[in-house]
Amino acid sequence: MGRELSDRILSVEHVSKSFPGVKALDDVSLEVGRGVVHGIVGENGAGKSTLMKILSGVYTKDSGTVEFDGQRVERTTPMESLRRGLSIIYQEFSLISSMTVGENIFLGRFREAGGMKGTHQKAGELLGQIGSSISTHKLVSELSTSEKQMVEIAKALSFESKLIIMDEPSSSLTEEELAKLGALIRQMREKGISILYISHKLDEIFEYCDVVTIMRDGHVIDTRPVSELDRGEMVGMMVGRTIENEYPERPRAVGEPLMRVEHLTTGKLKDISFTLNRGEILGFVGLVGAGRTEIVRAIYGADKVKRKEVRIEGKSLKITSPRDGKRCGMALVPEDRKQQGLVLPFSVESNISMANLEKVKRGIFLSPDKERKMAEENIDSLLIKTPSPTAAIVNLSGGNQQKCIIARWLETEPKIFIMDEPTRGIDVGAKYEIYMLMKKAVEAGSSIILISSELPEVLHMSNRVLTIADGRITGEFDPEKVSAQEIMNRAIG
Amino acid sequence: MSVVRKVVREIEKRKALTAILLMLFIMVFFDTRFYTAYNLLDMLNSAAILEMLAFGVTLVIICGGCDFSIGAMMSLSGIITIKLMDHMPLGFAICAAIACGALAGFVNGFFVVKQKTEPFIITLGMGMLLKGIAQQITDAHPVPAKNLTFMKIANGKVLFGIPNLIIIMVVMLLVFYYILRYTSFGRNCYAVGGDYNVATQSGIRAERIKWSAFVICGAMAAFCGVLLSSRLNTGSSIYGDSTALSVNCGCVVGGTSFAGGVGGVPQSFIGLLAIQLLENCMNMLGISAYVQQVCEGIIILLILWFDNYAQKRKEEAV
Repeated sequence: MGRELSDRILSVEHVSKSFPGVKALDDVSLEVGRGVVHGIVGENGAGKSTLMKILSGVYTKDSGTVEFDGQRVERTTPMESLRRGLSIIYQEFSLISSMTVGENIFLGRFREAGGMKGTHQKAGELLGQIGSSISTHKLVSELSTSEKQMVEIAKALSFESKLIIMDEPSSSLTEEELAKLGALIRQMREKGISILYISHKLDEIFEYCDVVTIMRDGHVIDTRPVSELDRGEMVGMMVGRTIENEYPERPRAVGEPLMRVEHLTTGKLKDISFTLNRGEILGFVGLVGAGRTEIVRAIYGADKVKRKEVRIEGKSLKITSPRDGKRCGMALVPEDRKQQGLVLPFSVESNISMANLEKVKRGIFLSPDKERKMAEENIDSLLIKTPSPTAAIVNLSGGNQQKCIIARWLETEPKIFIMDEPTRGIDVGAKYEIYMLMKKAVEAGSSIILISSELPEVLHMSNRVLTIADGRITGEFDPEKVSAQEIMNRAIG
Repeated sequence: MSVVRKVVREIEKRKALTAILLMLFIMVFFDTRFYTAYNLLDMLNSAAILEMLAFGVTLVIICGGCDFSIGAMMSLSGIITIKLMDHMPLGFAICAAIACGALAGFVNGFFVVKQKTEPFIITLGMGMLLKGIAQQITDAHPVPAKNLTFMKIANGKVLFGIPNLIIIMVVMLLVFYYILRYTSFGRNCYAVGGDYNVATQSGIRAERIKWSAFVICGAMAAFCGVLLSSRLNTGSSIYGDSTALSVNCGCVVGGTSFAGGVGGVPQSFIGLLAIQLLENCMNMLGISAYVQQVCEGIIILLILWFDNYAQKRKEEAV
């Protein structure tokens, strides 16, 4: 468009990449200008991650050209890309948790950084530049998520990166940390660093990005300045159809009290008591690390507790293991899909049936037919996109993996469905489907405890919201009557 | 092109089977007694005990562990059987030996599951301990059995002239295959090995499952010890010194990964068969025992290298 060549830091032309059975990228072209924050949006499986991995050198492309900073790039390795000035900050951080912050920033460049002393000194300067006061001698395992992100950014800066790719940088940040990230992005843009910002959260795209590229099914659908687009249009392009509402209508099926938790106390939690009603969606709002996940894990029996009284339907229950929790009619969809939710070597069908083997037995033996049937029914009713029930679970997109976990627990017919960040890292279309599943579940008589870092999600879906700060319940709100501001204030504590 | 690719992929997937076919093919060109019914049957017969050890170990490996105490367990259980045989009915003696195996497995399991110790180290230590006991009992001398019935267990041919050992092995293969594939215990083993935390959170008694796998493996090793001493009509503390290594190795070569959650009894069967076949071929070709060990080592390393290479490529595809 009449721009000079030097205005572009990165240009990708006609790049394609296939994996056995899937065409992940099909003739993708993209240009990123210098000092521009360039957003990439698209549903899971749209090809964003593949494109990114080609740029960083994790994958090699099948065809097409990539030009970075005026140079043609053919085969490359992650380290070479870094030295060329292209950094990637992955959703799951690539830091070594048993090493210190400084060592991580200069990983593999110990000598260049000037030994241990130089490492910590330079790392300290870099962190200072981005306004962080983390000690460079601290172990990464002791850092919070947002601190880890800071370290990743400092690492990117240490390579004098010209382009930083951020993959879902906000997925586990709280509102406050997010604001910090926003400031940081602006600061980097001013320095002339380009940023490729990959996110599902359209609000952030609108807030931070100058230009946005929309991808779907391995194709680039459109690239436009953000100012020319509105939200509906963008979502429409992402999913190939227009979504009118991001959230379904709030379910209203609240009945009598179902579960009463009293005096729940652990090392971190301080005397938590609350009631959950039948057919209710109860939202937990709080900062990351406030104790939301700990509360539900303790109730479910996954963590040890000092004190706990749980009554379901008036009956006092002893729940000391997840097995007890499950038997009492609870189900837990954990926050970390890969680490806590899926058995990665398993197929789709085994992942669904694994909590329900009693149901797929014929006599004492497992019946492959029954198992297949269970999987197929769930694939149909939850609209899970998979080539077959026997496909490996790792080949599915995040949203579909999440649906498999939900399917596993729906099959146990839980009375209390605990969902910890059920829509993290999932695209808009799949999110809506998960909201619909939640709605259906409560209308069928289950209750849901919903934990989410996305405030709008909690506020739109819940019948009641509890704010949690520092291991205590600090407030109870009706999300229809109280503003998000007020709730957030209480959650910050 | 695509046919070649398919063949290559198939070979990648079934390395051990490919190795077996390759060896069978190569042996055609040598004039040895390899292709005689006697040799093949004899080889299978002597492989049978190792194969059965591998079934138990496979269970443990699938659960995410490994067991290096099986060799010593095998030798000890043979000795126990022979020693007890003089004082009680044969059946009781055998049962006592198997119970000892289960007990050793129980202790292994306790350390691995409850104390979260590295299974490699614990079972290696258990192996030393068991070997020590075996030596102490026998004063490191072989103990002969004086019971004809006992000898017949492993040396007889009850059905159609097929050696008993082969029949027992086939039955065990089917039993373990069924357990792993068609029972919830078997499925839970895969889940526990595939992801311990996820299995626990899904209401599976992960501890109990993994622990049971060790117990079964120990009992199986003891059972194999009974068969071995029956076959040789002696018990000795030096039997099984290198058994544990080759059995665990055979399982991995067959495709039951130490990472846990993948593989199966048929795979281990093939893997161990490949190792046994290799030994037999080299014997037939008159290769010296030392060179044999070198060759075996190299081939195992090669197969594992291919395995990891394929694994890496697969990871990239994800």
